[in-house]
Amino acid sequence: MSTIPHDHVAGDDHASEHGHDHHPSGIMRYVLTTNHKDIGTMYLLFSLTMFFVGGVFALTIRAELFEPGLQIVHPEFFNSLTTLHGLIMIFGAIMPAAVGFANWQIPMMIGAPDMAFARMNNWSFWLLPPAAIMLIGSFFVPGGAAAGGWTLYPPLSVQAGMGMDLTIFAIHIMGASSIMGSINIITTILNMRAPGMTMMKLPLFVWTWLITAYLLIAVMPVLAGSVTMLLTDRHFGTSFFNAAGGGDPVLFQHVFWFFGHPEVYIMILPAFGIVSEIIPAFARKPLFGYASMVYAVSSIAILSFIVWAHHMFTVGMPAAGLLFFMYATMLIAVPTGVKVFNWLATMWRGSMTFETPMLFAIGFLFLFTMGGFTGLVLALTPIDVQLQDTYYVVAHFHYVLVAGSLFAFFGGAYYWLPKWTGTMYDETLGKWHFWTIMISFNITFFPMHFLGVAGMPRRIPDYAQQFADWNMVASIGAFGFGLSQLIFVWALIKCIRGDGVKAPAKPWEGADTLEWTLPSPAPYHTFETPPVVK
Amino acid sequence: MMSDLSSKAVHGHADARLRSTNVRTAIVLASIAAVFFVGIVVAKLVGDTSTAMSVLGAAVLLFLVLAIGRNLRK
Repeated sequence: MSTIPHDHVAGDDHASEHGHDHHPSGIMRYVLTTNHKDIGTMYLLFSLTMFFVGGVFALTIRAELFEPGLQIVHPEFFNSLTTLHGLIMIFGAIMPAAVGFANWQIPMMIGAPDMAFARMNNWSFWLLPPAAIMLIGSFFVPGGAAAGGWTLYPPLSVQAGMGMDLTIFAIHIMGASSIMGSINIITTILNMRAPGMTMMKLPLFVWTWLITAYLLIAVMPVLAGSVTMLLTDRHFGTSFFNAAGGGDPVLFQHVFWFFGHPEVYIMILPAFGIVSEIIPAFARKPLFGYASMVYAVSSIAILSFIVWAHHMFTVGMPAAGLLFFMYATMLIAVPTGVKVFNWLATMWRGSMTFETPMLFAIGFLFLFTMGGFTGLVLALTPIDVQLQDTYYVVAHFHYVLVAGSLFAFFGGAYYWLPKWTGTMYDETLGKWHFWTIMISFNITFFPMHFLGVAGMPRRIPDYAQQFADWNMVASIGAFGFGLSQLIFVWALIKCIRGDGVKAPAKPWEGADTLEWTLPSPAPYHTFETPPVVK
Repeated sequence: MMSDLSSKAVHGHADARLRSTNVRTAIVLASIAAVFFVGIVVAKLVGDTSTAMSVLGAAVLLFLVLAIGRNLRK
């Protein structure tokens, strides 16, 4: 069971009722804070900032690709933009956003007063801004920013300038932050649940984050180890991946994707969790097949470790390897299909209403399924050999990560903003935001399927005339997508300023997890006395 | 008064126990992360790289199966 009936919750008293809901004020509140809500807010604002930085890079890329020929940026700078766009969106925007949701929600959803290691939580966050500054600052060092793609493949990454060193160092720091955050989340979930909150009563968002945190513990050290080897190849005369010295560049690809594919699930599993909270709330029904959802998420996580080589079908693997990775990849569609079926079954005959969070959840379901389907197409080795490194791949992963993770995160933000700020968001703005990005997203990325099938390679600043029309359409859509995000900022500022209807403790009729037993906004200290879940 | 003191002592004891449980969990997880970090470098340094990498990969997968699996039983 993921839901907790209110009459089954005892002891949901909170600190404000005991008169000690005081907290420090001013800038030092955020520098020194150990409060999970403050840290969650900082993560979310940081990720929004980085989303706009990465978005500006994307818009520069799309402006350059608006028509054939070189018009705005040099090819080298274009390559840096594609590289940094990927790195910033993954490590600076999506992952910190997921951690922000975890910080805000996990303690409140399991009835814990805070995260297990509150000071380490503060440190985990404050490692991120210096890493981001290093990444962005790498544009200004001799040789410019890293330009070999976010995958950092050698030999380009071994030969690149100082910007690559800064990128490697930034990845180390962000990796350390992720590992510390994961340790904190696992420890909190395993040891600090309210009495009576057994594992199979955890809200699904908490379950997905527990599994995500395990994935992070497993793969971030692998990434850190491989970029450390890159660093020693660059500066200390080793030849781990440097073919000139007897190293094996293909081995880097294996190691990188051993991290990289689970990383995709690290970005999408928390989104699954958010959608699994939103859909039952607005369908006014319990989540269909809770246990099967937990098992499906677990299966997806485990399978994600045995499919990495589908990213590198063209490097020259034995036929047995190609077949194994093709079938293993197709196998992931089974648990993913279970999840999609369960979300649909939850909606079936529910008393559904379509407020903004539900719109985003349905948008997620529709577009993520399309992204999953193109993933299946790419899993087929013979087709992948044709589509490798084309815009089809770009379309596929943007359907998974933008329409997947980002849509779910926007849905989650609208869903929990009343709890976080104490003010209902502006429903009209929310709906405008949803429909504008739903339309502009598809205008941007759907044509990329056609471009990819027609053979347009990715990561190029110029292209043949035959690709001009769809590129122009995609660029127009991208600017619409970028501008649409300003509606979210407007809605967010209105909520933060308290410009709107005051939110009740439980604004959503069908929401039934523990955080909705708290007043809105959630008091600074919550569940100092653990609630009892029966 | 006496019951207040004993209640505080019980709470203090429970807090200390929770703290030590938390630290123990964190040390185990941090050690696993450290082993994977060192393991990936050592696997490349040893003579038979593909075997060493396979062992490390299997260890990572085993960790995940055990870590998730033991929670599914509860």
